[in-house]
Amino acid sequence: MRHLILLALFIVVPVFAASVTEDPLERQMLDIAKDLRCAVCQNQPISESNADLARDMRQIVREQIKAGKSREEIMSYFVDRYGDYVLLNPPKSGPGTIVWLAPIVLLLVVGISGFVFLRNRLKPTLPSAPKLSKEDAALVRAARKQENT
Amino acid sequence: MSANLLSLNLVELGQFCAFLAMLVALVQGLAPVGAHAFRQPRLAQISVNASVAVFALTSLGGLSLIHAFVTSNFSVLYVTQNSNTLLPMFYKVAALWGGHEGSLYLWVWVLSLYTMIVGWHGRKQYPEHLPVILAVQGLLIVGFFGLILFLSNPFDRSFPIPADGRDLNPLLQDPGMVFHPPLLYLGYVGFSVPFAFAMTALITRWRSELWIGLIRRWALIAWGFLTTGIMLGGWWAYYELGWGGYWAWDPVENASFMPWLLGTALVHSITVQDRRRMLHAWNIFLVISTFSLSLLGTFLVRSGVLSSVHAFAVDPGRGAYILAFMTIVLTVSFGIFMLRGRFQQAEEAITSFMSRESLFVWNNVMFTVACASVLLGTLYPLALDALSGQKITVGAPYFNIVMVPIFLVIVLLMAIGPLVPWRKANLERLRARLLWPLIIGIAAALAVIFILPASHWTAPVATGIAIFALSNLITEFARAIRQRRLQLKEPLARACIKTVLGNRRHYGGMIVHFGIVIIALGLVGSGLFKSEAAVNMSPGDEVVVAGERLRFEGVTPKRGPNYNAMQGRLTLLNSGRDVRPERRQYMRQENPMTESGIDSTLLRDVYVSMSDTTGGDRWAVHVYVNPLVRFIWVGGGIILAGLFLSLSGRRRARESEALDKAVQPAK
Repeated sequence: MRHLILLALFIVVPVFAASVTEDPLERQMLDIAKDLRCAVCQNQPISESNADLARDMRQIVREQIKAGKSREEIMSYFVDRYGDYVLLNPPKSGPGTIVWLAPIVLLLVVGISGFVFLRNRLKPTLPSAPKLSKEDAALVRAARKQENT
Repeated sequence: MSANLLSLNLVELGQFCAFLAMLVALVQGLAPVGAHAFRQPRLAQISVNASVAVFALTSLGGLSLIHAFVTSNFSVLYVTQNSNTLLPMFYKVAALWGGHEGSLYLWVWVLSLYTMIVGWHGRKQYPEHLPVILAVQGLLIVGFFGLILFLSNPFDRSFPIPADGRDLNPLLQDPGMVFHPPLLYLGYVGFSVPFAFAMTALITRWRSELWIGLIRRWALIAWGFLTTGIMLGGWWAYYELGWGGYWAWDPVENASFMPWLLGTALVHSITVQDRRRMLHAWNIFLVISTFSLSLLGTFLVRSGVLSSVHAFAVDPGRGAYILAFMTIVLTVSFGIFMLRGRFQQAEEAITSFMSRESLFVWNNVMFTVACASVLLGTLYPLALDALSGQKITVGAPYFNIVMVPIFLVIVLLMAIGPLVPWRKANLERLRARLLWPLIIGIAAALAVIFILPASHWTAPVATGIAIFALSNLITEFARAIRQRRLQLKEPLARACIKTVLGNRRHYGGMIVHFGIVIIALGLVGSGLFKSEAAVNMSPGDEVVVAGERLRFEGVTPKRGPNYNAMQGRLTLLNSGRDVRPERRQYMRQENPMTESGIDSTLLRDVYVSMSDTTGGDRWAVHVYVNPLVRFIWVGGGIILAGLFLSLSGRRRARESEALDKAVQPAK
């Protein structure tokens, strides 16, 4: 959490008196809000939604940060009330497991089929002609000489 | 009054034309069947002529709708719902595809256009297969017209006639929106042509080496439109939605992305079949799947199963029809594929794992996995909800975690693939060619780690891979030029132009790859190094974000043709330019809309969106500094340029190579 605050400070450096800086609380809030779905919106995180519900949820996040709650605690607060639906990242257990495992399984299945496909069609090029032994080479030379004469 | 009457009757005429178009399309679809059944081959010719009639009739229907929009004929329900008298003329025309009914009409209109072009194009090139191809297209047209005319009819009237219409969704009142859907549809529908070819090939046992070359161009055209449509959608989202991003992994975006992924696999694997006589059955599978995903994309968006900005309607009748139509298309096409797929030609063998054809197979593996993952992430929450009532969300963070590694592998394959020759690579030569680009790539990755140590692991890796790919492209091109100059003693510029024009297919593809690299850099820059600040500002206040100093100058009211706006002005103190974000209140809408203000240079965008006032003259302002966003749009342009070059190649490269060789000894 501390490095997030530092990062926010680093990004928004006050230069002189008239400048305004971002409230670090606001940055922390947005970082959490990014991963929470606005339950009444169409596939939007609450950080980007203008809906009343999203505004209320952002306010709750703010208050909980002020109360010293951690990111996980705030997330689980919302999951308790809205279910897994509120998480933009599906949960890694229960019904969400499939979504997380599928890409790996797909990669294995399709990759192995691709490999098997290629291997079944793999035909080496003809082996290169064996080198002539000394005796054979001599025979060839002799035959050529005869031909030339 | 008489003008009004004319307008009223024109819509009826349009509706009549649309019904007639559906009937003619049915005839078009059944003519070859009849020809076969009655042993009258000439009957099949009907479907060729019918394709012209269907397009003409569909156009009349579409034009009558546009006329209704332009003349603000509110007796048409669809016009009332999507337009009003204040709407600027430009958007009145575009409002045709601003809603559910009209965009389906646009779909079928585009489909009939493609069908007519195929009919015209094929008369000389493949006359004996043409009727069947057009019949497949005709049946698709019938399927769509059925949905349009019986379940979502844009010609429906409402009486009494309201005095004014509602409004076009203000999000859609933007030039990007005007071109985004038609281009996307040109892409989706474009894949119906390869689909019709594949179906025809399966039904008539047309040998695939004879038709695969014909669909290459159609697939590339469709792919080009789809790419442009997606890019434009991203651009539109970036300018219009005000959250500083361009891609949200929204289900609707995924719906257009899935056919793109498989379409990309397809344009690559077509080349393998064309050059090496491999992957016949796989290509047919890809063609069918790509078009099925185009259908799925249209229907996901149109049926309203996804609750999202783009979904206009929820109607159980439509949903059932759509599901039935999809089921029929999938069952019939995959059924024919299962029955007849074996009759396509025998496969040639590969010589080595290190060959271009093998890398193309890996390309297809990765694109298939990417597409299947997106498909699963998009459909699984819907299926879970329908089957067990459990609701979960698969959102942008998930897709970023899963898809980024896949794309990194794809770009890596893209970097190496073009250097590997067909059949078998000489490993030593390949290693020598890859050495310097690899060193440059690793240096770029190390530079990122060194300069920006705090960044996510993908930043150095992606940059390294992109730069590796870029160096490969450059060294490969330089090598070709050097060889040509050694042989022909040409000046540099001439050699460059001759090399590129001599092998347009190859260099067109390389330019597309170059565009992809540029986009990849843009995605890395804007995705991982974005800085932002959400602040409340009064006039005179300054804010500094990533070294950009902005001064808030205040807000002035502004009046547009159909909205009132509060326009803010912020001066960028570094350059003296200003950005003007707006808060628009459209007259017939409830919620205000944000219109972002953007100052764009090649290396970074300063992007400002303004929300509500927070008391007095203080406004909530969200400032983003997005590095390299313009790379993405520029990369899109490069891709199109490469595509045009590739399409302009008349015959395959071998001929020009043969020609070159024939010329060389004479010199």
